[in-house]
Amino acid sequence: MERIYILVSGPLAWIAWSVLILGSIYRLWQVFSLAKQKEQVLFSYISLKYALRSIINWSIPWNTTNMRLHPIFTGVAFLFHIGFFVILIFLSAHVIMIEEGFGLSWPTIPDALADVMAFLVVGACIFFGVRRIVRPEVAFVTDWTDFALLGLVAAPFLTGILAYHQWGDPLLMTILHMLSAEILLISIPFTRLVHMLFAPFTRGYIGSEFGMVRHVKDW
Amino acid sequence: MKERVWIKDEGIERGAEALTPERIERTINAVLGNETGARLMAYVETCVHCGLCSEACHFYLSRDKDPSYAPVGKVKQTIWPMLKHKGKVSVEFMKQATQIAQTECNLCRRCVQYCPFGIDIAYMMSLVRRIVHKLELTPLYIQDTAHSHSATLNQMWVKDDEWIDALHWQEDEIREEIPNARIPLEKEGADIMYSVIGPEPKFRTQLIYQAAVIMNVAGLNWTMPATPGWDNSDMAMFTGDSEIMARLKRAHFETAARLRVKKIVMGECGHAFRSVYDTGNRVLGWRMPPIPVIHALEFYWDLLNEGRIKVAKQIEEPVTFHDPCNVVRGRGLHEKAREVVRAFCKNLVEMHPNREHNLCCAAGGGVINCGPPFKNARVESNSAKAEQLKATGVKLCIAPCHNCHGGLDDIIHKYGLDMELKFLGEIIYECMEKPEA
Amino acid sequence: MTPRRFSFLLGASFIVALSVLGAIPAWTQDTVLKTQAFGTLTRPVALFDHDTHNEKAGLDDCAICHHVYRNGKLVAGESSEDKACSDCHTLQGQGRQPGLRVAYHTACAGCHTTKAKGPLACGQCHRR
Repeated sequence: MERIYILVSGPLAWIAWSVLILGSIYRLWQVFSLAKQKEQVLFSYISLKYALRSIINWSIPWNTTNMRLHPIFTGVAFLFHIGFFVILIFLSAHVIMIEEGFGLSWPTIPDALADVMAFLVVGACIFFGVRRIVRPEVAFVTDWTDFALLGLVAAPFLTGILAYHQWGDPLLMTILHMLSAEILLISIPFTRLVHMLFAPFTRGYIGSEFGMVRHVKDW
Repeated sequence: MKERVWIKDEGIERGAEALTPERIERTINAVLGNETGARLMAYVETCVHCGLCSEACHFYLSRDKDPSYAPVGKVKQTIWPMLKHKGKVSVEFMKQATQIAQTECNLCRRCVQYCPFGIDIAYMMSLVRRIVHKLELTPLYIQDTAHSHSATLNQMWVKDDEWIDALHWQEDEIREEIPNARIPLEKEGADIMYSVIGPEPKFRTQLIYQAAVIMNVAGLNWTMPATPGWDNSDMAMFTGDSEIMARLKRAHFETAARLRVKKIVMGECGHAFRSVYDTGNRVLGWRMPPIPVIHALEFYWDLLNEGRIKVAKQIEEPVTFHDPCNVVRGRGLHEKAREVVRAFCKNLVEMHPNREHNLCCAAGGGVINCGPPFKNARVESNSAKAEQLKATGVKLCIAPCHNCHGGLDDIIHKYGLDMELKFLGEIIYECMEKPEA
Repeated sequence: MTPRRFSFLLGASFIVALSVLGAIPAWTQDTVLKTQAFGTLTRPVALFDHDTHNEKAGLDDCAICHHVYRNGKLVAGESSEDKACSDCHTLQGQGRQPGLRVAYHTACAGCHTTKAKGPLACGQCHRR
């Protein structure tokens, strides 16, 4: 077991982060070179001003018409995304590992807050999953991969909670936590989680079209 | 729930008879492989299947929230399987994809405004139409219109002399009202080229009449072409026939260039505006139109603000205003239009939602042009609009778009609404000062 | 038994019980690491039973943990068991000398990693 821990906390972590970073660079390069090769015209419709206008307006909870049509979903979705990144970046245990490995350090959030957020993230995943079953318009476009992606995202948070509260064997839980997080990192560039990389560009492009050509709000 | 019926259309049926699995596969892969790129890839891979676009769609809303009519539901039934099976889809699948993309989506782009990622679902439906076109499955009636465009450069098989004749006829009529009024043809160096869509000379000639009165009263230096290229409409844009679309727009812009006008002013048509202002210019390699293109709504606003037309009387009864997708979501003219409406009408009652969030007429995007086989389904699929109209409680609706007129007219009849439809130009014609009349 | 006697016995046993309970923290002191220097703790105190650990690990050389660094160099043959870790390792690191938390983690988990033995995950030392 100790050897497995050393493996997942060392070499596998390096592999996962490398795949994430190199994979992300590859995907962005792929999409941009494809655009350059076949849809160069797209670049002439990009306006930084309107792209940012769109991105900012869609980054404010309950700001857009559709967000107001779905207030609960919007709240859950924002908590989920904020929780995901805040825990990833500001959890004390994560920062401590970075500090001890690389000598870099930054402020952290209290563990109690992180704990609440982790439960919220897992809760949000359950909410998304239930929604996929009970809402017909979502169920219609849902297949097993959608649940798999939710599971992929929920797993590191669930195992993180178990490891933190020491429910179950701490070593095993920590191993599962790291392993599931590594699988998640590796999946980001190659699954629909790639929206993490592409969303600013799809949003920015349509924002530019709506702002610059059509002179109308896109929210 | 209103059951979806797979409608028999002669064009689709005849096209399907000539299909082979190999041809379908080859065509789909040719279009998706050669004519798409980063956009489609990003759209398909970014979509997390959240379904939040559903409530944007009047088809979905009107058909008891049937998920197969939701925007993403339509993508699921068309683009996804084409990509997943690498073009290996059945003839039956293609027939259904045709009905979905060509008759159950108006390309109104409301869903684009509702997608958190800004995924352009209308673009994907256009791609399906492109494939449908290349497989020769396009519904009969709209294909006939595309043929007309191809043969005559106008939408309605209007012959060259018929066009000139219609204009002369309207000029004669106007001179009964305004003795010195003219419809100047082929006037090189005029400031404005006024262009209309095929149906205007064919059966809505009063619109040419009214526009000419406005031009004359405003004292403008304007002209209309006497050659093909006068028609700004474009159903080829909606059948995925980019080649004919390019020919049409080229003829239109070249006509304006030949007449050395400063700008093109267009009548109250939405799709034509989209084709000249947004789509056709791109096909021809122009980032923005090579000659400024002004839609009637903006033109009226300019005239009013320059003091070229003046309000003589106001419509007393309450009116409502329908925002056409192509000039509102497509050009943001909703506030200018309202300023003009308020100048001529005492009481404007808003529909809800309105402006850039207005519900579509369900006729645009070439849907009404698919003709009688699809009419019942189309009208059935816009009860949401009927409720929206009814809730205003008014009896006069201003709809500054030909397709919207057609669509709303059908809805008004089907749902028994006591409502009259008018173009904004009609209101202006009725209510403006006509000093020489 | 008279009531008076009963109350005396009751009171006495209460005092004894209290002092036994009070002695518990003092007794557990040897099985956890010294943490006064940290002030408020964010995680539970790390469990560490000095003698059991060394017996299990087969450690005879005190200097392996209680090392001495001078001018950034490890001094061979000297050890520092007479000092608290926090005497040198301040909370914040100073130059190349790591801060107290980093020093603890590197000393314990670092060695456990090298040997692939002993607790490694957070919750194994910081037991709730």
